[in-house]
Amino acid sequence: MENLSTRLLDHQRNKQMEINMNDAMNFINMEGLKFFGKVNASISHELKNILAIISETAGFLNDLTDLAKQGQELKLSLLEGCSESIAEDIQRGFTTIKQMNRFAHSVDTPIKEIDLFDTLELTVNLSEFLSFANKVQISNNDKETQSILTCPFLLQNLIYQILIFTYKATGPDGDIQVRLTSEKEEGTSLIFSNPGQLALEGFPTQKIQKTADALGVELTINSSCNELDIWIPYASNKITLLAKELQIDSYTANSEGDSTTNR
Amino acid sequence: MKIILVDDEKKFINMLAKRLAMRGISADAVFSGDEAIKKITSTAYEVAVLDIKMPGISGLELRRKLSAINPDLKFIFVTGHGAANKVDKKIIEKDYYFSKPLDIEILIKRLNEITSSG
Repeated sequence: MENLSTRLLDHQRNKQMEINMNDAMNFINMEGLKFFGKVNASISHELKNILAIISETAGFLNDLTDLAKQGQELKLSLLEGCSESIAEDIQRGFTTIKQMNRFAHSVDTPIKEIDLFDTLELTVNLSEFLSFANKVQISNNDKETQSILTCPFLLQNLIYQILIFTYKATGPDGDIQVRLTSEKEEGTSLIFSNPGQLALEGFPTQKIQKTADALGVELTINSSCNELDIWIPYASNKITLLAKELQIDSYTANSEGDSTTNR
Repeated sequence: MKIILVDDEKKFINMLAKRLAMRGISADAVFSGDEAIKKITSTAYEVAVLDIKMPGISGLELRRKLSAINPDLKFIFVTGHGAANKVDKKIIEKDYYFSKPLDIEILIKRLNEITSSG
Protein backbone atom coordinates (compact mmCIF):
# COMPACT_ATOMS: atom_id res chain seq x y z
CA MET A 1 0.00 0.00 0.00
CA GLU A 2 2.85 2.34 1.01
CA ASN A 3 4.67 1.45 -2.20
CA LEU A 4 1.62 2.33 -4.26
CA SER A 5 1.17 5.77 -2.65
CA THR A 6 4.90 6.54 -3.17
CA ARG A 7 4.55 5.65 -6.84
CA LEU A 8 1.44 7.78 -7.09
CA LEU A 9 3.27 10.75 -5.54
CA ASP A 10 6.20 10.25 -7.91
CA HIS A 11 3.82 10.11 -10.84
CA GLN A 12 2.11 13.36 -9.76
CA ARG A 13 5.48 15.05 -9.22
CA ASN A 14 6.70 13.99 -12.66
CA LYS A 15 3.46 15.14 -14.23
CA GLN A 16 3.79 18.54 -12.55
CA MET A 17 7.43 18.82 -13.72
CA GLU A 18 6.33 17.99 -17.24
CA ILE A 19 3.62 20.68 -17.10
CA ASN A 20 6.13 23.23 -15.75
CA MET A 21 8.64 22.27 -18.44
CA ASN A 22 5.97 22.60 -21.17
CA ASP A 23 4.94 26.02 -19.84
CA ALA A 24 8.56 27.11 -19.85
CA MET A 25 9.10 25.81 -23.40
CA ASN A 26 5.92 27.55 -24.66
CA PHE A 27 7.09 30.79 -23.08
CA ILE A 28 10.57 30.43 -24.57
CA ASN A 29 9.16 29.69 -28.03
CA MET A 30 6.69 32.57 -28.01
CA GLU A 31 9.14 35.10 -26.63
CA GLY A 32 11.85 33.76 -28.91
CA LEU A 33 9.72 34.40 -31.99
CA LYS A 34 8.90 37.92 -30.82
CA PHE A 35 12.58 38.60 -30.15
CA PHE A 36 13.58 37.25 -33.56
CA GLY A 37 10.96 39.46 -35.24
CA LYS A 38 11.94 42.55 -33.28
CA VAL A 39 15.64 42.19 -34.09
CA ASN A 40 14.94 41.53 -37.77
CA ALA A 41 12.67 44.58 -37.99
CA SER A 42 15.38 46.79 -36.46
CA ILE A 43 17.95 45.37 -38.91
CA SER A 44 15.68 46.10 -41.88
CA HIS A 45 15.30 49.66 -40.55
CA GLU A 46 19.08 50.03 -40.40
CA LEU A 47 19.47 48.68 -43.95
CA LYS A 48 16.78 51.05 -45.25
CA ASN A 49 18.62 53.97 -43.68
CA ILE A 50 21.85 52.88 -45.34
CA LEU A 51 20.14 52.50 -48.72
CA ALA A 52 18.49 55.90 -48.26
CA ILE A 53 21.92 57.54 -47.83
CA ILE A 54 23.37 55.72 -50.85
CA SER A 55 20.29 56.61 -52.89
CA GLU A 56 20.55 60.33 -52.00
CA THR A 57 24.28 60.32 -52.76
CA ALA A 58 23.67 58.65 -56.14
CA GLY A 59 20.95 61.23 -56.80
CA PHE A 60 23.38 64.01 -55.94
CA LEU A 61 25.89 62.56 -58.43
CA ASN A 62 23.15 62.62 -61.09
CA ASP A 63 22.41 66.24 -60.22
CA LEU A 64 26.09 67.11 -60.61
CA THR A 65 26.23 65.27 -63.94
CA ASP A 66 23.19 67.20 -65.21
CA LEU A 67 24.81 70.50 -64.17
CA ALA A 68 28.05 69.50 -65.92
CA LYS A 69 26.07 68.73 -69.09
CA GLN A 70 24.71 72.26 -68.92
CA GLY A 71 28.28 73.55 -68.91
CA GLN A 72 28.87 74.06 -65.19
CA GLU A 73 32.26 73.16 -63.75
CA LEU A 74 32.35 69.74 -62.06
CA LYS A 75 34.28 69.90 -58.79
CA LEU A 76 36.41 66.82 -58.20
CA SER A 77 36.22 67.28 -54.42
CA LEU A 78 32.44 66.77 -54.58
CA LEU A 79 32.88 63.55 -56.56
CA GLU A 80 35.49 62.31 -54.10
CA GLY A 81 33.19 63.11 -51.17
CA CYS A 82 30.37 61.13 -52.79
CA SER A 83 32.50 58.07 -53.52
CA GLU A 84 33.90 58.08 -49.95
CA SER A 85 30.39 58.37 -48.54
CA ILE A 86 29.11 55.47 -50.66
CA ALA A 87 32.10 53.31 -49.68
CA GLU A 88 31.51 54.06 -45.97
CA ASP A 89 27.86 53.15 -46.18
CA ILE A 90 28.51 49.98 -48.12
CA GLN A 91 30.88 49.01 -45.28
CA ARG A 92 28.17 49.89 -42.74
CA GLY A 93 25.79 47.63 -44.70
CA PHE A 94 28.30 44.75 -44.75
CA THR A 95 28.80 45.04 -40.99
CA THR A 96 25.03 45.01 -40.44
CA ILE A 97 24.56 41.96 -42.66
CA LYS A 98 27.42 40.15 -40.90
CA GLN A 99 25.71 40.77 -37.56
CA MET A 100 22.38 39.68 -38.99
CA ASN A 101 24.00 36.47 -40.22
CA ARG A 102 25.58 35.72 -36.81
CA PHE A 103 22.25 36.38 -35.13
CA ALA A 104 20.37 34.14 -37.58
CA HIS A 105 22.82 31.29 -36.88
CA SER A 106 22.38 31.60 -33.12
CA VAL A 107 19.32 29.34 -33.43
CA ASP A 108 21.26 26.60 -35.24
CA THR A 109 22.26 24.76 -32.08
CA PRO A 110 19.93 24.89 -29.08
CA ILE A 111 22.72 24.46 -26.55
CA LYS A 112 26.42 24.98 -26.99
CA GLU A 113 29.50 26.56 -25.49
CA ILE A 114 29.83 30.21 -26.36
CA ASP A 115 32.32 33.00 -25.75
CA LEU A 116 30.29 35.27 -23.48
CA PHE A 117 32.07 38.48 -24.50
CA ASP A 118 31.38 37.76 -28.20
CA THR A 119 27.70 37.17 -27.44
CA LEU A 120 27.53 40.36 -25.38
CA GLU A 121 29.20 42.37 -28.15
CA LEU A 122 26.84 41.03 -30.83
CA THR A 123 23.73 41.64 -28.70
CA VAL A 124 24.82 45.20 -27.90
CA ASN A 125 25.41 45.84 -31.61
CA LEU A 126 21.96 44.47 -32.48
CA SER A 127 20.28 46.58 -29.79
CA GLU A 128 21.95 49.71 -31.15
CA PHE A 129 19.71 49.54 -34.21
CA LEU A 130 16.77 50.51 -31.99
CA SER A 131 15.83 54.17 -32.28
CA PHE A 132 15.95 54.68 -28.49
CA ALA A 133 19.30 52.92 -27.99
CA ASN A 134 21.97 54.64 -25.91
CA LYS A 135 25.72 54.43 -26.13
CA VAL A 136 27.01 51.25 -24.56
CA GLN A 137 30.60 50.63 -23.51
CA ILE A 138 31.56 47.05 -22.90
CA SER A 139 34.68 45.79 -21.14
CA ASN A 140 36.14 42.50 -20.00
CA ASN A 141 37.75 42.61 -16.56
CA ASP A 142 39.08 39.07 -16.99
CA LYS A 143 40.95 39.73 -20.25
CA GLU A 144 40.35 36.13 -21.25
CA THR A 145 37.63 34.10 -22.92
CA GLN A 146 34.70 33.08 -20.72
CA SER A 147 33.09 29.95 -22.14
CA ILE A 148 29.53 29.33 -21.07
CA LEU A 149 27.41 26.29 -21.84
CA THR A 150 24.04 27.82 -22.60
CA CYS A 151 21.19 28.32 -25.01
CA PRO A 152 22.79 31.12 -27.14
CA PHE A 153 19.54 32.43 -28.59
CA LEU A 154 17.83 32.65 -25.20
CA LEU A 155 20.85 34.30 -23.59
CA GLN A 156 20.92 36.92 -26.37
CA ASN A 157 17.21 37.47 -25.74
CA LEU A 158 17.87 38.01 -22.02
CA ILE A 159 20.76 40.45 -22.57
CA TYR A 160 18.71 42.30 -25.21
CA GLN A 161 15.74 42.68 -22.85
CA ILE A 162 18.03 43.98 -20.08
CA LEU A 163 19.64 46.45 -22.49
CA ILE A 164 16.20 47.74 -23.50
CA PHE A 165 15.27 48.09 -19.82
CA THR A 166 18.46 50.06 -19.12
CA TYR A 167 18.00 52.28 -22.21
CA LYS A 168 14.60 53.25 -20.86
CA ALA A 169 15.95 53.56 -17.32
CA THR A 170 18.71 56.00 -18.30
CA GLY A 171 16.77 58.18 -20.74
CA PRO A 172 17.85 59.36 -24.20
CA ASP A 173 21.28 60.78 -23.30
CA GLY A 174 22.42 58.11 -20.87
CA ASP A 175 25.61 56.12 -21.27
CA ILE A 176 25.60 52.50 -20.20
CA GLN A 177 28.58 50.45 -19.16
CA VAL A 178 28.58 46.68 -19.18
CA ARG A 179 31.57 44.89 -17.71
CA LEU A 180 32.22 41.19 -17.67
CA THR A 181 33.80 39.87 -14.49
CA SER A 182 34.36 36.44 -12.93
CA GLU A 183 34.64 37.50 -9.30
CA LYS A 184 32.02 34.96 -8.24
CA GLU A 185 32.59 31.22 -8.45
CA GLU A 186 31.07 28.86 -10.99
CA GLY A 187 30.05 31.63 -13.34
CA THR A 188 30.55 35.06 -14.83
CA SER A 189 28.76 38.31 -14.09
CA LEU A 190 27.66 41.00 -16.48
CA ILE A 191 27.48 44.23 -14.50
CA PHE A 192 25.24 46.93 -16.01
CA SER A 193 25.86 50.44 -14.69
CA ASN A 194 25.43 54.07 -15.58
CA PRO A 195 27.48 57.06 -14.40
CA GLY A 196 24.24 58.97 -13.75
CA GLN A 197 21.03 57.63 -12.35
CA LEU A 198 19.80 54.18 -13.33
CA ALA A 199 16.08 53.98 -12.54
CA LEU A 200 15.79 50.34 -11.52
CA GLU A 201 12.17 50.32 -10.31
CA GLY A 202 10.27 47.45 -11.86
CA PHE A 203 13.38 45.34 -12.49
CA PRO A 204 13.23 42.52 -13.30
CA THR A 205 10.10 42.47 -15.41
CA GLN A 206 8.20 39.19 -15.45
CA LYS A 207 9.55 38.42 -18.93
CA ILE A 208 13.15 39.07 -17.91
CA GLN A 209 12.77 36.93 -14.77
CA LYS A 210 11.20 34.04 -16.70
CA THR A 211 13.95 34.13 -19.32
CA ALA A 212 16.62 34.23 -16.61
CA ASP A 213 14.98 31.30 -14.79
CA ALA A 214 14.98 29.22 -17.96
CA LEU A 215 18.74 29.77 -18.25
CA GLY A 216 19.55 29.38 -14.55
CA VAL A 217 20.74 33.02 -14.49
CA GLU A 218 20.56 35.07 -11.26
CA LEU A 219 19.56 38.73 -11.34
CA THR A 220 20.61 41.04 -8.51
CA ILE A 221 20.14 44.76 -8.03
CA ASN A 222 23.02 46.35 -6.20
CA SER A 223 21.18 49.51 -5.20
CA SER A 224 24.05 50.92 -3.12
CA CYS A 225 26.17 51.36 -6.26
CA ASN A 226 23.29 51.53 -8.72
CA GLU A 227 24.21 48.41 -10.69
CA LEU A 228 22.56 45.33 -12.13
CA ASP A 229 24.45 42.09 -11.62
CA ILE A 230 23.55 39.36 -14.11
CA TRP A 231 25.25 36.18 -12.91
CA ILE A 232 25.53 33.51 -15.61
CA PRO A 233 26.64 30.03 -14.52
CA TYR A 234 29.29 28.27 -16.62
CA ALA A 235 26.80 25.42 -16.97
CA SER A 236 23.52 25.59 -15.05
CA ASN A 237 21.82 22.37 -13.94
CA LYS A 238 18.87 23.11 -16.22
CA ILE A 239 21.06 23.62 -19.27
CA THR A 240 23.23 20.58 -18.48
CA LEU A 241 20.16 18.36 -18.12
CA LEU A 242 18.68 19.70 -21.32
CA ALA A 243 21.98 19.14 -23.13
CA LYS A 244 21.95 15.50 -21.96
CA GLU A 245 18.36 15.09 -23.04
CA LEU A 246 19.18 16.51 -26.46
CA GLN A 247 22.31 14.32 -26.55
CA ILE A 248 24.58 17.30 -27.06
CA ASP A 249 28.14 16.49 -26.04
CA SER A 250 30.31 19.42 -26.92
CA TYR A 251 29.92 22.39 -29.17
CA THR A 252 32.63 24.98 -29.11
CA ALA A 253 32.36 28.71 -29.60
CA ASN A 254 34.26 28.26 -32.88
CA SER A 255 31.33 26.57 -34.59
CA GLU A 256 29.49 29.89 -34.57
CA GLY A 257 32.31 31.57 -36.45
CA ASP A 258 32.54 28.71 -38.93
CA SER A 259 28.86 28.86 -39.72
CA THR A 260 29.00 32.56 -40.47
CA THR A 261 31.78 32.27 -42.97
CA ASN A 262 30.73 29.07 -44.69
CA ARG A 263 27.07 29.71 -45.37
CA MET B 1 9.60 77.76 -49.85
CA LYS B 2 11.29 77.32 -46.46
CA ILE B 3 11.32 73.86 -44.91
CA ILE B 4 12.95 72.05 -42.01
CA LEU B 5 14.23 68.45 -42.21
CA VAL B 6 14.52 66.45 -38.98
CA ASP B 7 16.27 63.06 -38.91
CA ASP B 8 19.05 61.56 -36.79
CA GLU B 9 20.63 60.11 -39.96
CA LYS B 10 22.92 63.09 -40.54
CA LYS B 11 24.37 62.08 -43.91
CA PHE B 12 20.93 61.34 -45.34
CA ILE B 13 19.38 64.60 -44.23
CA ASN B 14 22.38 66.75 -45.22
CA MET B 15 22.43 65.26 -48.70
CA LEU B 16 18.67 65.73 -49.06
CA ALA B 17 18.99 69.39 -47.98
CA LYS B 18 21.72 69.93 -50.59
CA ARG B 19 19.64 68.38 -53.36
CA LEU B 20 16.56 70.41 -52.42
CA ALA B 21 18.67 73.58 -52.40
CA MET B 22 19.81 72.77 -55.97
CA ARG B 23 16.10 72.79 -56.88
CA GLY B 24 15.43 76.14 -55.26
CA ILE B 25 14.00 74.89 -51.97
CA SER B 26 15.62 76.27 -48.85
CA ALA B 27 15.91 73.42 -46.33
CA ASP B 28 17.47 73.50 -42.87
CA ALA B 29 18.67 70.12 -41.61
CA VAL B 30 18.58 69.30 -37.89
CA PHE B 31 19.28 65.99 -36.20
CA SER B 32 17.07 65.89 -33.11
CA GLY B 33 13.68 66.95 -31.80
CA ASP B 34 15.25 69.49 -29.43
CA GLU B 35 17.13 71.19 -32.28
CA ALA B 36 13.92 71.28 -34.33
CA ILE B 37 11.99 72.97 -31.50
CA LYS B 38 14.73 75.60 -31.11
CA LYS B 39 14.84 76.30 -34.85
CA ILE B 40 11.10 76.54 -35.26
CA THR B 41 10.72 79.16 -32.56
CA SER B 42 12.98 81.52 -34.50
CA THR B 43 12.18 80.70 -38.15
CA ALA B 44 8.88 80.68 -40.04
CA TYR B 45 8.92 77.35 -41.86
CA GLU B 46 6.10 76.20 -44.11
CA VAL B 47 6.75 72.47 -43.93
CA ALA B 48 8.55 70.09 -41.54
CA VAL B 49 9.80 66.77 -42.89
CA LEU B 50 10.15 64.42 -39.91
CA ASP B 51 11.60 60.98 -39.39
CA ILE B 52 9.06 58.91 -37.47
CA LYS B 53 11.56 57.14 -35.21
CA MET B 54 14.28 59.21 -33.59
CA PRO B 55 16.18 58.93 -30.31
CA GLY B 56 14.49 60.71 -27.44
CA ILE B 57 11.27 61.67 -29.19
CA SER B 58 9.08 60.13 -31.86
CA GLY B 59 8.20 62.06 -35.00
CA LEU B 60 4.54 61.99 -33.98
CA GLU B 61 5.24 63.52 -30.57
CA LEU B 62 7.50 66.09 -32.19
CA ARG B 63 4.66 66.96 -34.58
CA ARG B 64 2.42 67.82 -31.61
CA LYS B 65 5.09 70.05 -30.07
CA LEU B 66 5.91 71.83 -33.33
CA SER B 67 2.22 72.34 -34.12
CA ALA B 68 1.76 73.99 -30.74
CA ILE B 69 4.52 76.47 -31.61
CA ASN B 70 3.49 77.02 -35.24
CA PRO B 71 -0.13 75.94 -35.91
CA ASP B 72 0.23 76.69 -39.65
CA LEU B 73 3.13 74.29 -40.09
CA LYS B 74 2.50 71.38 -42.51
CA PHE B 75 4.07 67.95 -42.08
CA ILE B 76 5.57 65.19 -44.15
CA PHE B 77 6.79 62.02 -42.45
CA VAL B 78 9.51 59.66 -43.60
CA THR B 79 10.09 56.21 -42.19
CA GLY B 80 12.67 53.49 -42.53
CA HIS B 81 10.32 51.10 -40.74
CA GLY B 82 8.53 48.68 -43.03
CA ALA B 83 5.63 49.92 -45.09
CA ALA B 84 4.67 53.57 -44.73
CA ASN B 85 0.98 52.65 -44.91
CA LYS B 86 1.29 50.95 -41.51
CA VAL B 87 1.96 54.27 -39.80
CA ASP B 88 -0.77 55.29 -37.37
CA LYS B 89 -3.17 56.98 -39.79
CA LYS B 90 -5.50 58.20 -37.06
CA ILE B 91 -2.83 60.59 -35.87
CA ILE B 92 -1.40 61.76 -39.15
CA GLU B 93 -4.22 61.17 -41.63
CA LYS B 94 -3.89 64.69 -43.06
CA ASP B 95 -0.13 64.37 -43.54
CA TYR B 96 1.94 62.70 -46.21
CA TYR B 97 4.34 59.96 -45.39
CA PHE B 98 7.08 58.29 -47.38
CA SER B 99 9.12 55.16 -46.97
CA LYS B 100 12.90 55.43 -47.29
CA PRO B 101 14.66 55.62 -49.74
CA LEU B 102 12.92 58.74 -51.01
CA ASP B 103 12.19 59.86 -54.56
CA ILE B 104 13.10 63.56 -54.46
CA GLU B 105 10.84 64.50 -57.35
CA ILE B 106 7.79 62.98 -55.63
CA LEU B 107 8.79 64.70 -52.39
CA ILE B 108 8.94 68.06 -54.17
CA LYS B 109 5.57 67.42 -55.80
CA ARG B 110 4.05 66.82 -52.35
CA LEU B 111 5.79 69.88 -50.91
CA ASN B 112 4.26 72.00 -53.66
CA GLU B 113 0.81 70.44 -53.12
CA ILE B 114 0.93 71.08 -49.38
CA THR B 115 2.12 74.67 -49.62
CA SER B 116 -0.30 75.61 -52.39
CA SER B 117 -3.32 74.06 -50.63
CA GLY B 118 -3.12 76.68 -47.85
